[in-house]
Amino acid sequence: MSELAIRRGAAPALAVRGLGYAYPHAARPALEDVSLEVAPGEFVLLAGRSASGKSTLLKAACGLVPHFHGGEIEGEVRVADLDAIAAGPGELAAAVGYVAQDPETQVVSTTVAAEIELPLEMRGDEPADRARAVEEVALALAIPHLLSRTVDTLSGGELQRVALAAALVTRPRLILLDEPTSQLDPVAGDELIWLLRRLNEEWGVAVLLAEHRLERCLAAADRVVAMEAGRLSFDGVPAEFLVWASDSDPALETPAARLFSLAGIDPLPVGVRAARQTLRGMGVAHPPHIASRRVSDPHPQVPVLQAEGLWVELDRGDDPRDVLKGIDLTIRRGERVALMGRNGAGKSTLLRTAAGLHEPVAGKLSVDSIALLTQNPSDYLVRERVGDELPGDEGMAALRVVGLEGKVDADPRDLSGGERQRLALAIALAGRMDGDELPDLVALDEPTRGMDHARKGELVKLIEALASSVAFVTHGVTKATGAAVVVATHDVEFASEFADRVVLLGDGVVIADGPMPEILSGGWYFATEVARVLDLPEVVTPEQGAAVLRKGAP
Amino acid sequence: MKSPFAYQSRPRPLQLASPGAAVAYLGAIAVVAFLYSNPLVLVAAGVAAVGAGLLAGARRAVELALKMGLSLAVLVVVVNALVVNRGETVVARLGDWPLFGPVNVTFEAIVAALSMGLRAAVVLVLGAVYSACVDPDRVLRALRPLARRSALTATLVSRLVPVAAADAARLRDAARLRGPGAAEVGKAPLARRLLAGSLDRAVDVAATLELRGYSLDAPRPRSRSSRSRYDRRFCAVAVFLLLAAIAGKALGADDSQTYPAVEIGLGPATVALSALVALSGLAPLRRNPKRRRQPADGTKTSLYGPKSSRRPGSREVARV
Repeated sequence: MSELAIRRGAAPALAVRGLGYAYPHAARPALEDVSLEVAPGEFVLLAGRSASGKSTLLKAACGLVPHFHGGEIEGEVRVADLDAIAAGPGELAAAVGYVAQDPETQVVSTTVAAEIELPLEMRGDEPADRARAVEEVALALAIPHLLSRTVDTLSGGELQRVALAAALVTRPRLILLDEPTSQLDPVAGDELIWLLRRLNEEWGVAVLLAEHRLERCLAAADRVVAMEAGRLSFDGVPAEFLVWASDSDPALETPAARLFSLAGIDPLPVGVRAARQTLRGMGVAHPPHIASRRVSDPHPQVPVLQAEGLWVELDRGDDPRDVLKGIDLTIRRGERVALMGRNGAGKSTLLRTAAGLHEPVAGKLSVDSIALLTQNPSDYLVRERVGDELPGDEGMAALRVVGLEGKVDADPRDLSGGERQRLALAIALAGRMDGDELPDLVALDEPTRGMDHARKGELVKLIEALASSVAFVTHGVTKATGAAVVVATHDVEFASEFADRVVLLGDGVVIADGPMPEILSGGWYFATEVARVLDLPEVVTPEQGAAVLRKGAP
Repeated sequence: MKSPFAYQSRPRPLQLASPGAAVAYLGAIAVVAFLYSNPLVLVAAGVAAVGAGLLAGARRAVELALKMGLSLAVLVVVVNALVVNRGETVVARLGDWPLFGPVNVTFEAIVAALSMGLRAAVVLVLGAVYSACVDPDRVLRALRPLARRSALTATLVSRLVPVAAADAARLRDAARLRGPGAAEVGKAPLARRLLAGSLDRAVDVAATLELRGYSLDAPRPRSRSSRSRYDRRFCAVAVFLLLAAIAGKALGADDSQTYPAVEIGLGPATVALSALVALSGLAPLRRNPKRRRQPADGTKTSLYGPKSSRRPGSREVARV
């Protein structure tokens, strides 16, 4: 087929027929009998729980499976009429672009311009063509100002855009994205999704996007494909997907769909706009407000972290810069605090300073005992047996807290992702507990990266257990056994499930601090989908929203 | 935290120059340091290296390299003073040492070691300036047509070094955050974990290279011209330095000896060559753009000429 015919979209962007694949030495196949077609210019959302086969399908579509990973494959994969199983990823590079979850591992050059130009150079394009293509893709992604920067000076969001630019610069017919927003704040995540939609509409690039946070991208998609245990479980338009998810796999429901489902309203909305239109049509544009109930019982008389005028300066190799600029903050035992803000706002720096990894340059910070789990739990796991990581009674007490006392003889590498995270937390807790009493403060930095809804639910339960407090009065002072739990997160929906208080940071200062329902209902980016649909103060979860709608329904 | 030796793009002449011109310039200073043993010339080469680095904006790289170079120089001096007994001027008699025998510290051995240490420091500073100011992508691009596989390896290494450094920093932080009741992390498990992580990273980076088409046997495109307006300056300085170094050798500018007694030549040829070498450090100097002369009557000018001469609605072409 001629290149012109391919460009005009005569062949499907992706055609998969009867695809089965097993990684080398794997006990069971990662993909089984998968058949799927993506039309030119289509925007397809790939949904499913962790380990359902989404990433493997994307890797098969760009040739990494089986060419790079090995293993056994059967069936047929064609990308723009090229046989992806016969051709390698290099040959497919002109027809398909791939963007993975971690932008750090997707850049191979030192400067942004060189990174974007590399695929064209490898293809043998002439210098003038390369210069034009780099300029155009940089303009399309709004990154011309980054071209002369070195990649190690970029933020996560910028790096993800550069990776996208490198994938798009060859003008492929299909772009594959594996959870590209998992490390981005809500603002950068939304920007990326709508940028993809714009490229999809203006350039005609077909998009196959795997994502866990469906509420973020469902409205942008033309079609949804759901996977379960390596097989396709659903293939249809977003509205039908929501009905299917509501019946078959509620973990894949979006908050707005759950809101409507609980309130008994049809049809289920694919986004905030559709939900508002439906509600307006029903005459419930201004439902009555029901005051939310505070779910936790903090103990205001026992502060465990106190920061007064806290300034922290970090030097990342260019120039020293103030990351925290005079933070005043008090956190008390039993509180569950979501620490939120854009990438680079200072969330991680605050937690790392509390844990003693950074020294303040001014101000005061007092915290008695803190256990901090950083963004990569695997960094804590250095031995080949759980019991060797946590020996003795103190180790066993920590394992009991996270529910892993039965896994003493297991190899950490054989644990699930959630179990590895809990083991890392136990390592941070060990020796900082007084008997079974937890340290004053347990801090988790971005613990939900790449997690599906079910695993987030498990994490919410763990946070509740850590913070659950038995208050008693001794010598006139109220004492509690539960810890204060502070979680730095970008995930607004997750924050609404576990937090009773939200601290919002912006450029190193606290810009909002209050009860979770108040903070997460009072904005646009740092607000839950339900809050954006209903726009009512302190109504943030589907359950709260459904109660309001039921009361106010005509 | 970013390494001070990592390349940083800056709009300075040394960074803007093509890799060939930058390498020729820095290499010429290194050649002088290797050719000459006269301390004055070596100091001049050091001044040139430090000056080039500072003018290119690589202050932190220069500072760190100087610290490392001077530490190395001190080590060389100590070892040489203890090991080499040659020289007429004994400054300390340290008696008989096991393995070493009689140890006499001589002034000549110290000066000879200083000369060697100084040379090592100059080379270290030049290496640091190269690392911080010459874009590795452009160097690799220049190498790729000559040695494809070596360029691939170099690409992987140049990307993995900063990634591994970041991984190591993260692992160290995680080790510090372990509770006191958890097993201590020794250096061996940490190194093993870092190695395993680096291998995983290498696989990811290799996959990305595959996706970018690195394995394709595509026709070699012409390289985009990477010349800059500073190339001539750096090449001219490099050629001039090399010619001066050769002429200086012929004219006895390296006229010095350390054994049996220290004699440092400070003749006109040595002084002139040292001055030239030191001045070569000014090559990365950025020339400020000429200021537009203000008209005597004080009327403001713009790219479109004096404001008073423009009629409303008229359009003129900018002259740049």
